[in-house]
Amino acid sequence: MSAGPYNYSYIFKYIIIGDMGVGKSCLLHQFTEKKFMADCPHTIGVEFGTRIIEVSGQKIKLQIWDTAGQERFRAVTRSYYRGAAGALMVYDITRRSTYNHLSSWLTDTRNLTNPSTVIFLIGNKCDLEGQRDVTYEEASKFAEENGLMFVEASAKTGDNVEEAFLETAKKIYQSIQDGRLDLNAAESGVQHKPSQPGRNPLSNDQQANKDNCAC
Amino acid sequence: MPVLTLQRSYKYIMYATKQPSLRIKQADLKCKSGCGFFGNADWEGYCSQCYRNHTDSERQKKSHQGGSSDHSKAQVSGFSKFEEKKRQQTDKKTRYMKSLPVFRKTSNVKDVGRPENLVDIMRQANPEANKLMAEFIAQYSQYGEGIRKDFLKCSQAFSNKIVKELDVKPMEDLAEIAQNYYNQYQNRVNSNPTYQNVPNDVKDRLVEFFENFTMISLYNFLFCPPTTNDEEKDLTIQGRIRKLSWVNAHHLDCCISETSIEVRDLVYTAINDLLGMDSMRAPQEKLACVVKCCRSVVEVLQHCQGGPVSADEFLPALIFVVLKANPARLKSNILYVTRFCKESRLMQGEAGYYFTNLCCAVSFIENLTAESLNMPEQEFEAYMSGEVTCVSAWESALVACEGMHQLREHLALLKGLSERTQIVQNTTKSLWEDMQKLKEGICESVDSVLERTPLIIKPRTSPLALTREQLLAQAAARTAPNPPEPEPEPAPRNFYLKNLSFGHLSAFETPKSKLQLDISPCIALKPSHSGDQLSSPAIDKTPGSLTPDDNSFLGLSKVNYDIDLSDLSTENSAADELTPDKRKSPTPSVDPFSPVGGSCPVAQPPLEPSRGEFVLPFLVEETLIDKSELTPAASLPPPLVPSAPEYSGFSKQGSRIPSIPCSTGDYSSLTSSPGHSNA
Ligand SMILES: Nc1nc2c(ncn2[C@@H]2O[C@H](COP(=O)(O)OP(=O)(O)OP(=O)(O)O)[C@@H](O)[C@H]2O)c(=O)[nH]1
Ligand SMILES: [Mg+2]
Repeated sequence: MSAGPYNYSYIFKYIIIGDMGVGKSCLLHQFTEKKFMADCPHTIGVEFGTRIIEVSGQKIKLQIWDTAGQERFRAVTRSYYRGAAGALMVYDITRRSTYNHLSSWLTDTRNLTNPSTVIFLIGNKCDLEGQRDVTYEEASKFAEENGLMFVEASAKTGDNVEEAFLETAKKIYQSIQDGRLDLNAAESGVQHKPSQPGRNPLSNDQQANKDNCAC
Repeated sequence: MPVLTLQRSYKYIMYATKQPSLRIKQADLKCKSGCGFFGNADWEGYCSQCYRNHTDSERQKKSHQGGSSDHSKAQVSGFSKFEEKKRQQTDKKTRYMKSLPVFRKTSNVKDVGRPENLVDIMRQANPEANKLMAEFIAQYSQYGEGIRKDFLKCSQAFSNKIVKELDVKPMEDLAEIAQNYYNQYQNRVNSNPTYQNVPNDVKDRLVEFFENFTMISLYNFLFCPPTTNDEEKDLTIQGRIRKLSWVNAHHLDCCISETSIEVRDLVYTAINDLLGMDSMRAPQEKLACVVKCCRSVVEVLQHCQGGPVSADEFLPALIFVVLKANPARLKSNILYVTRFCKESRLMQGEAGYYFTNLCCAVSFIENLTAESLNMPEQEFEAYMSGEVTCVSAWESALVACEGMHQLREHLALLKGLSERTQIVQNTTKSLWEDMQKLKEGICESVDSVLERTPLIIKPRTSPLALTREQLLAQAAARTAPNPPEPEPEPAPRNFYLKNLSFGHLSAFETPKSKLQLDISPCIALKPSHSGDQLSSPAIDKTPGSLTPDDNSFLGLSKVNYDIDLSDLSTENSAADELTPDKRKSPTPSVDPFSPVGGSCPVAQPPLEPSRGEFVLPFLVEETLIDKSELTPAASLPPPLVPSAPEYSGFSKQGSRIPSIPCSTGDYSSLTSSPGHSNA
């Protein structure tokens, strides 16, 4: 692994949620491996993936939890919402039912995460334009009404996948800088790791400690 | 668990066998030094104690030889590979740390800088540890304050030590530190006079609690720490298990029937138990999840076989469950438990047995080959590379069962809905019956009143006969210092009744005009309802100012209960000054053509001496306010006007009570709601 310890200054925790088979695992795989996993087995419980990205010159490690869409694992997956800094809520544009369930996913997310959690709505499988069942306008209206960021993406072609993950990170980073997200709070979903000296203007006490350090 | 006998003779060690095998002897689970305790792959097949002795001697040998060791050649195959990798990683790490001064520096900044502070911060951000502390106080404070202090002192020392060494020492050393602290605390509890009043079973719990509390506090540092490559291992095995998703019970030579619903539900229970491990924080809790899962596995087997389960069948079934569960951060969890769970718990007993089995299952999965599954090499390769995709029975049944599962859930939902509908229907029915009864009751009382008070319609000439002067005179008499009660003179009463007879009062509005007989003429003047039925002198005198507006009628009927006939002249001014607020008020349902008797039960009270008794609550208030203002001057319409906007009846407000939206996130509607009072 090229990334040694502390090769990044933050860890952001994400969750990916949505109905069974909407392509959550494929989105994660596309993001971390840049490959499409055509026959992906259903996720049981949760799986995770990581990738280090850069936002405003800061290296950020994304720790992404891909949850199972199946109802029967809801008890397990719910325990991963806690402390997520970002939530990617996915539906399948070719299956209306997955869109209709969004409100219940949203309720869960709002109830189980903290108010500063960034929620990003992804309409997946936009490569299957011919089978479209949910219009872009409708979904973007839903997103707007609920204050979500929204994009249509395809885990198959990779369209907008990168963007969705990066935009979420930017928004989170923004909240840290605005002070809306308290790093010291429990379950903020963000961990601060010490990095090169002078590169984290956000944490003063860390800075102070550095100065105290003799070595 | 009587079926799984733990005491068996042991001769050789599973970890040294060439092939990862599904059938292992019970002895294979034991420490390869033959001490009788359970071994573990992460301890190179030794139990933790023998492993430590072993590594110590290795270290000595190594330093003797001058570094590079080749003792791994003594190890065989799969396991040695694992061990080699592990050593490489340790080496890599040490090298890495040495070659990177920046890293050292930053790590020191983080951990050596102010360990006490850090521990504090970490506790603050750890609500679970705080909860545990509260629990501790609740449970053990009865044995003396000294215990709490001592406990805190020891746990603090332990935490500080760990935090201090965190990035300097490899995890194995930290594990050793932890084990030493556990033992120290245990000895302390058993020998220190502070604890002398504590019963023995409580002492055991205290020791356990120590482990629990410190580990939960330190969890973020010790679980899957960034200084190790635990996370990498997790990702590797996660990917491998995903690739092995085609493996079914048949391949594993295990009797789990993948398509039976009951069996599947049991398997799911086992899977869920295992998945729970990652959410737990204390090593004991994680271990408890493993035990729970393994018990469920035994249950599955009992169900499938309909009888007792042999230990031989257990491991394949557990492997199956691990493969299907693909638990998150499996390696991290196992390593964490291995390192930081109190050694004695892993070396013996049910928990030790099951945990060792889990470790075997994991190392089987890591190392399995075509041969271990008894299948041709090519077939295995084809599956692994994804060339051949086979949807396993489990997988397809999973989809089907999910359908069934959802179906069942929807059915339950529907049942709940239909029950609620039934309730609504019943309530509606009873409401309808109530209304029916109410209607009958009203009709009855109306009838009885009609019987008691026969309707007399007199010629309409009498109001016309009253001149303005006469009215003014009456008004003057009434606004005299005497209470503003109407004189029970027959003439006004007749007059009142006569006007009523034209049906300008409905049951709805009469309470509002209850106090004065004299109001009726005003009402009679209202053109929109009275039409031309009644032409009063007032109309003639002020034709332009009396607009055909309901509001004037309503406003007056609501406000001006004490109005005199003399007020008629100025009635228009009151109408003009009505605020828009008034205009929004719902128009009372006035039925000009309803029989007078219809309003009699309510309309009559003003005539009785005890007229207050029919007054509705909100009107009583109104009456009181206005009565206090009832100076002679106040009886004139203009001074009454200001009181009109102040009052807003219930019925009016009812239409304006803001509805609170269900959507929790939307505050805009809530913030705008206070504005309703200005509306
Ligand atoms: N055409 C197309 N197919 C996709 C896309 N993303 C996913 N799929 C397919 O959709 C199926 C389901 O994808 P998964 O990623 O397993 O779905 P999931 O949301 O992880 O499902 P669960 O793990 O059961 O919750 C797979 O067969 C994918 O091949 C996409 O962008 N385009
Ligand atoms: Mg998935």
